[in-house]
Amino acid sequence: MQDHTVRVWDEPLRLFHWTLVASFTAAWLWQGDRWLHLHLLAGWIFLALLLFRMVWGFTGTRYARFSAFTCGWREAWLWLREVTQGGGPRRLGHNPAGAWAIFAIFFLGLLLAVTGIVTQGGEERHGPLAGLFGFATGAGSHLLHEALAWGLLALLLLHVAGVVVESLQHRENLALAMITGRKRAVPAGLALDVPRRRGVAMLLAVALLLFILFWLRGSLAGGDDPFLPFVGPELPHDAAWQEECGGCHLAYHPSLLPAASWQRLLREQEHHFGEDLALDPDTVRRLQRYAVGHAAETTPTEASWKILHSIPAGTSPLRITETPYWRRKHREIEEAVFRSRQVNGRFNCDACHLDADAGSFEDGAMRLSRAAGLDDERSGERA
Amino acid sequence: MKRRAFHRSPLLAGMAPLILALGTAVASAEPLDRLLEGYRSEGADPFSAERGRALWTRQVRPDAGTRPRSCTTCHGEDPRGVGRHARTGKRIEPMAHSANPERFTNPRKVEKWFRRNCKWTFGRPCTTQEKGDILTYLSSQ
Ligand code: HEC
Ligand code: HEC
Ligand code: HEC
Repeated sequence: MQDHTVRVWDEPLRLFHWTLVASFTAAWLWQGDRWLHLHLLAGWIFLALLLFRMVWGFTGTRYARFSAFTCGWREAWLWLREVTQGGGPRRLGHNPAGAWAIFAIFFLGLLLAVTGIVTQGGEERHGPLAGLFGFATGAGSHLLHEALAWGLLALLLLHVAGVVVESLQHRENLALAMITGRKRAVPAGLALDVPRRRGVAMLLAVALLLFILFWLRGSLAGGDDPFLPFVGPELPHDAAWQEECGGCHLAYHPSLLPAASWQRLLREQEHHFGEDLALDPDTVRRLQRYAVGHAAETTPTEASWKILHSIPAGTSPLRITETPYWRRKHREIEEAVFRSRQVNGRFNCDACHLDADAGSFEDGAMRLSRAAGLDDERSGERA
Repeated sequence: MKRRAFHRSPLLAGMAPLILALGTAVASAEPLDRLLEGYRSEGADPFSAERGRALWTRQVRPDAGTRPRSCTTCHGEDPRGVGRHARTGKRIEPMAHSANPERFTNPRKVEKWFRRNCKWTFGRPCTTQEKGDILTYLSSQ
């Protein structure tokens, strides 16, 4: 017997629902520095969808409107009690617990997006809030961002559990209804179809697609760089430093180690990792002045701030590659990759970081596909 | 003021590239000649590109434990080709004057690298004779 069904969810709402699921999942999967530009893409879509939903909550069709499902917590509580006691009355639109879940998801979602943007502005010095916050605020916001993401995940799982319970109780596949938009009309004939609103859905879809294309324009244009290039602040450079320290390896930007480290390294320049740099005292003084003036303490970049804060007080490591932050960040890279001919040692930052010369070490400037081993191992990451 | 007058004169402006080209040609020949002249004045014999080549490719063991080293360990067999630093893998631009006109244009730089590389390769400083022979060889390539 075929039940009589009616359209409850309009098309923009359904599109919103599933693209929100997709964007949250994508942002979750694309955590980590290498995928930051994709994480940001998903994050912006997530925020845009929430904002769209806000507008739709006032202008959408009957069951999409906030007014159709706002209710007090008492009502939600009573409803939940009924469910646990064997099933409350069936609703065509959102049920009271579902409504509360939606508002909570909204609230956490907006906070999640905002902390994300603050993190990006503070830690990476990018995005609309670039440079408005210090690294410390960025790092704090980062922690909050992660906590919120876990909170939201828990809430979403609760929401899914609710959907499953109610689907079983009322023998009606609610997830399917969010795809087809239709639910059983009981009693038959009482409820009317809501309009489709296909035009709005198309508009939303096209806007999302255009945004994705715009965001990925760098990678879509082909070329060597798999990532959207981030252009960070330009760091000061020094010709003498470049000349004296760039002959045997990359001239490491002084912001990568604290002043005490550079002083020690230059003091011991006759025993430089087994090499005698044979610099004259004048040159040493000049290099010292530049290095100390632009050492990690000046924190021009996220890397400098994090390296500095990872070094135990009172120590002055001579190697960037021995600082705790560096080790933590590169722990997943296998020894064989570092030893490969293309890389030839972990100190060769420029084998993997396109902007190593500039010293900025942006997440968006990693050239992993060219580094040995990583190519085969993670060929999927070009995405 | 002088600059402005220079720009206003079409004849002088037209000659500028020529003057510049002549200027750089003189500048790049000069430091090398000065270096060689300096070595000679310290009592070296006339320089020989052949002796320089032999020295450049000579395999030495500065210590008992190390593998044989030579200037070509880092600079590569062909002075006109690029080299690769033995320890760090960094690319080194060609040493031959023909392939890399920027070579030997800065006497301080030349002396600094002689100091480092002779010590690293031979375990001792190079004599003025050896330096002159090597530079003669590399600039003839
Ligand atoms: C003559 C060649 C040479 C020159 C010139 C040179 N270095 Fe080095 N440097 C090395 C070698 C070799 C290593 C060790 C590489 C390894 O780990 O095997 C090294 C390592 C380093 C490291 C540690 C890298 C890490 O994190 O593991 C730093 C920092 C460094 N050098 C800074 C400098 C500075 C600053 C100057 C200029 C004053 C300079 N170097 C000039 C040869 C050189
Ligand atoms: C074999 C390739 C490789 C080499 C060599 C390498 N890195 Fe990295 N680096 C990576 C990868 C991969 C990541 C990202 C790790 C992750 O996903 O969290 C990374 C991350 C970083 C980060 C964190 C970026 C951020 O914004 O969070 C910094 C800073 C960094 N590297 C600095 C260096 C420095 C300095 C050197 C040289 C002393 C170096 N790296 C050498 C591959 C490399
Ligand atoms: C351990 C590696 C290594 C070895 C071995 C080595 N060199 Fe070099 N040499 C370098 C590097 C690195 C430079 C700097 C290249 C640059 O500036 O482009 C250099 C530069 C020089 C320069 C300066 C060139 C200029 O532009 O003025 C001279 C001269 C030189 N080397 C001579 C020698 C001689 C002679 C030997 C053998 C006794 C030798 N090198 C062996 C690494 C090496």
